[in-house]
Amino acid sequence: MTGGTGPALQAGRAVRAEWTKLRTLPSTAWLLLALAAVTVAVGAAVTGAVDTSHCVTPAGCREDTPKLALSGVRLGQVAAVVLGVVAVGGEYATGTISVTLAAVPRRWAVLAAKAAVVAGAVAVAGTAGVLGSLAAGRGILSGNGFTAANGYPPLSPLDGPTARAAAGTVLYLVLVALLALGAGTALRDQAGAVTAVLGALWLVPLVAGMVGDDAWRDRLDKYAPMSAGLAVQATRELDRLPIGPWAGLGVLAAYAAAALLAGAAVLAARDA
Amino acid sequence: MEATIEVRGLRKRFGSTVAVDDLSFTVGPGRVTGFVGPNGAGKSTTMRMIMGLDRPDAGAALVGGRPYRSLRTPLCRLGAMLDASAVHPARRARDHLRWLAHANGLPARRVDEVIEQAGLGSAARRRAGGFSLGMRQRLGIAAALLGDPPVLMFDEPVNGLDPEGIAWIRGLLRSLAAEGRAVLVSSHLMSELEGGADHLLVIGRGRLIADTRVEDLLAAASDGRVELRTERRREAMTVLARAGATVTTSGSDALIVTGPTAERVIELLTGEGVAFSGISAHRASLEEAYMELTKDALEFQAVAGGEAR
Repeated sequence: MTGGTGPALQAGRAVRAEWTKLRTLPSTAWLLLALAAVTVAVGAAVTGAVDTSHCVTPAGCREDTPKLALSGVRLGQVAAVVLGVVAVGGEYATGTISVTLAAVPRRWAVLAAKAAVVAGAVAVAGTAGVLGSLAAGRGILSGNGFTAANGYPPLSPLDGPTARAAAGTVLYLVLVALLALGAGTALRDQAGAVTAVLGALWLVPLVAGMVGDDAWRDRLDKYAPMSAGLAVQATRELDRLPIGPWAGLGVLAAYAAAALLAGAAVLAARDA
Repeated sequence: MEATIEVRGLRKRFGSTVAVDDLSFTVGPGRVTGFVGPNGAGKSTTMRMIMGLDRPDAGAALVGGRPYRSLRTPLCRLGAMLDASAVHPARRARDHLRWLAHANGLPARRVDEVIEQAGLGSAARRRAGGFSLGMRQRLGIAAALLGDPPVLMFDEPVNGLDPEGIAWIRGLLRSLAAEGRAVLVSSHLMSELEGGADHLLVIGRGRLIADTRVEDLLAAASDGRVELRTERRREAMTVLARAGATVTTSGSDALIVTGPTAERVIELLTGEGVAFSGISAHRASLEEAYMELTKDALEFQAVAGGEAR
């Protein structure tokens, strides 16, 4: 009935099926919209609350303006987490996982295809959110005294460190969504997986804030998925960060990879 | 590609419960094979193992000579409806079929064809969450037919359907078998398969109790019995019992006589002047044959009361 059956063709079909599945659920569009909108709105609100008046001299604020403008992802990432979990958890909740595995019996291929489409969708929405945040920040910051004259050039995604922060933030969102996908596959329960991932992201920074010992706080910041991953947003005083921008994103990538591997192992070993 | 399902020594245990116990059978092409047993007998688990959804503890299942999980385009080899409710309620029926088609590289026209074949019509544009059970069954059947597979498997397809729906599914199964496909259909009620199945696999507590043609089973269960109607039941029973027949009542004025031939029964009753009517060779219903078949399997009767899966 159909042509070849090579591995690439198989994988392509699985991706196409997962893409059709993802885009035919109304919740997907809402979550992606929320991801972009919340990131921009929260970033704008946080940026708007900071001005140079509290500093002795405007230049003395040493404010990391790109990081400030991109801070909305801290909340926007919730949508990425939910999307990642629902992409697989929804199948267990509705029983369609049996139908999926009947159509694509190679289980790792199902998870890989889900990872590809979730990553793609989050990358697009995340890019929109990040560019929107930079645009909003650019307007707000100059009004709050963060001007070129005071040593704060206008935000531009073409500026080296800002470009890295922006691209890194998109990757951060993608990795968080993949972490959630892995957790959802391993746990098979949507509420449980969302709670677990949000806990892992937010609980550690919360605890770190309460830790008095500097060395321990540094260690927590270095190895906690959110604080390490968001190191990629820093554009100033990089030498004072507990972990470098790309190394920090690497830590988050390791968590995401571990979650996906755990998910793949559970998917392969357990009855559907 | 052979239109067969072969199950060899299949075994599956859930905790301390043995769900399927050394099960072997073959489902052949061109006929409807009924898979019958009480709830909890292991029918669904067996079907899930055939499709590679559950891993057997021992044994193997082959679809057209190959393990299901090695199939590249499985929907073109075996179509199945295991659980009609397994659709995402927020997704439109047509989209459910579309992603399935994409997964196996099937052309979009197949989606339209099976929507037509399953009688979904304009409902295909609606979200599956609003579907009645009957519509969900039709969607599940459309999904099973998508790859035009030589082997089909349906788990309790008529469960909860109205008579019209039951008749439709029965006709569909018949026509699929007439096209030379192998059709395996499970039910916990033998009566649901009456007039629908050619071959039967009877399962109890995970074990195979019978693997038989429906015709043979009915012949064996009907063996030499005579049915008649009379208003003078008591006298008729006395006369026949005296002649060595075993007589049981069936309904208010019907008797089922085992032992003598119909001619001998007529002779006996006429000789004693007992009026009767409607004498005929008794043809057992599938339900009766089933009871006959399973009455010796004590452990089977013990389990017939309960158990969920």
